[in-house]
Amino acid sequence: MANVLPSPWRAWLTSRSPRSRRQAWLGQLYLGWLALLRNPLALLGLAIVLALVLAAAAAPLLASQDPLAQSLPDRLLPPGSPGHWLGTDEFGRDLWSRVVHGARVTLYIVLLVVVTAPVFGLAVGTAAGYFGGLVDVVLMRLTDVFLAFPRLILALAFVAALGPGIENAVLAIALTAWPPYARVARAETLTVVRSDYIAAAQLQGAGSLRIITGHVMPLCLSSVIVRITLDMAGIILVAAGLGFLGLGAQPPLPEWGLMISSGRKFLFDQWWVATVPGLAIFVVSLGFNLLGDGLRDVLDPRSAGR
Amino acid sequence: MDGTGKGGAMIEIAGLEVVFASRGDRVRAVDGIELAVAEREAFGLVGESGSGKSTVLRALCGLAPVSGGRATIAGLPPPRRRDPAFARRVQMVFQDPFSSLHPRHTIDRTLAEPLVIHRLGDRRERDRQVEAALTDVGLDPGFRFRYPHQLSGGQRQRVAVARALMLEPQVLLLDEPTSALDASVQAEVLNLLSRLRRERGLTFLMVSHDFAVIDHMCDRVAVMQGGRIVETLDHAALARRQVREDYTRRLLEASSAHAPLALQEEGGA
Repeated sequence: MANVLPSPWRAWLTSRSPRSRRQAWLGQLYLGWLALLRNPLALLGLAIVLALVLAAAAAPLLASQDPLAQSLPDRLLPPGSPGHWLGTDEFGRDLWSRVVHGARVTLYIVLLVVVTAPVFGLAVGTAAGYFGGLVDVVLMRLTDVFLAFPRLILALAFVAALGPGIENAVLAIALTAWPPYARVARAETLTVVRSDYIAAAQLQGAGSLRIITGHVMPLCLSSVIVRITLDMAGIILVAAGLGFLGLGAQPPLPEWGLMISSGRKFLFDQWWVATVPGLAIFVVSLGFNLLGDGLRDVLDPRSAGR
Repeated sequence: MDGTGKGGAMIEIAGLEVVFASRGDRVRAVDGIELAVAEREAFGLVGESGSGKSTVLRALCGLAPVSGGRATIAGLPPPRRRDPAFARRVQMVFQDPFSSLHPRHTIDRTLAEPLVIHRLGDRRERDRQVEAALTDVGLDPGFRFRYPHQLSGGQRQRVAVARALMLEPQVLLLDEPTSALDASVQAEVLNLLSRLRRERGLTFLMVSHDFAVIDHMCDRVAVMQGGRIVETLDHAALARRQVREDYTRRLLEASSAHAPLALQEEGGA
């Protein structure tokens, strides 16, 4: 399994004396990849996540119909019907096409949250841990305030204030998702901030910004990445929850939570309308969780050797 | 040529006190010591663990609080925040090479960073300096893009020495630079330090618990106990074992009890 690369490449990647920064970095990446290969469940998770990305990228090609095209004669067809292998919903829209296009919405929400919340949380947490004292107290009490509210409730409050819509849902999720990252980053920072290599950097005249971004953050990054992948499932669920409650994506957008919400009315007679998007949420959440567990084994500095 | 102290002393410590206070508990780690180290001298501080010798070094470079008295290097007080001028005069080599190099930075990045911070040279010039620094501490340039975990303890400490010398400081503070290394590797690193001091005219202030190491490296040595200096010896007195204090004698006996290091001048580098 490990010998999937032609040997000259492998020799280049695993060289004990890399000749450039990029080679050294890629070599480390390759070793991480090998470690990930040893974990079949993590690979399954990776496959699911890649499938989600592919589905989102190639949605127009994969979808057999227009996800918004209504056709009242074809409404509520069961799975396996000709032309609609997953069936249709109450407006006769093809469920397969809607689920595939829904991957785009889900990925869009997830990506937007990922480029905002962890970055903000990382900045807050490392600053609090590095400076300590009053900065630490103020930043962490602020974090505590945000942590004190259940996530969905706080997101609901934000959306209620900002108005429904997918951008506002993303904003609300990001605003409620950053505190755990700040906590994780602060804890990691506290374990490294007294170490000799930080003292050495200070003695060389490095400023706080350089030390935080160049020395502290790389060490927090692996915990944060693991936390992100494990958090994805939660983000997807909150997004779906907001959609379900009518506060996230608005009809007729094919968002999975919204699709479950509309299928709820027919759950007993036409179970597939709610079940198909529900399965999509379940599989994708599971995929992110499996990948997160695998990444934790690969990236966690405590489980890896020195 | 520059602000060395009035008496020609490079490092001057007068009545230095370091008190660590935490939750009403006050620990007096350094309790009023006097010390003057001349330019190009190698001065040793020796004592048991907890005698405050490392704290003196950390106080000198601003890593421990100065609670009383004065401590200056080349006329500069310990920096309170970042101080580029101080960094170019004084650098430190830490005790444990396993924790003094950033685990996620290549050797290249570790060595180039001081130059980047002080905006010295362009990229090509920095590349050249990093390779020269590696060669100077006896490491093959092939080590340049390795990570610290791919090096042995001795190799790491060589990298730490190279990093300390990147800014061409005048003073090197050495905090038990070899105590975490094997005996044979200890000798190599000590010989490397001796050679670099000769070549570059460095001033050393070195902390150790091992008289053999101090004897090999230093012109004079101060013996510390409980945050105070109990006795100062020069090299000749140390060779003749002319010591005044019982405490010093006990330390000397403890050091000679384990096998003496095979230290030769300029041994295998």
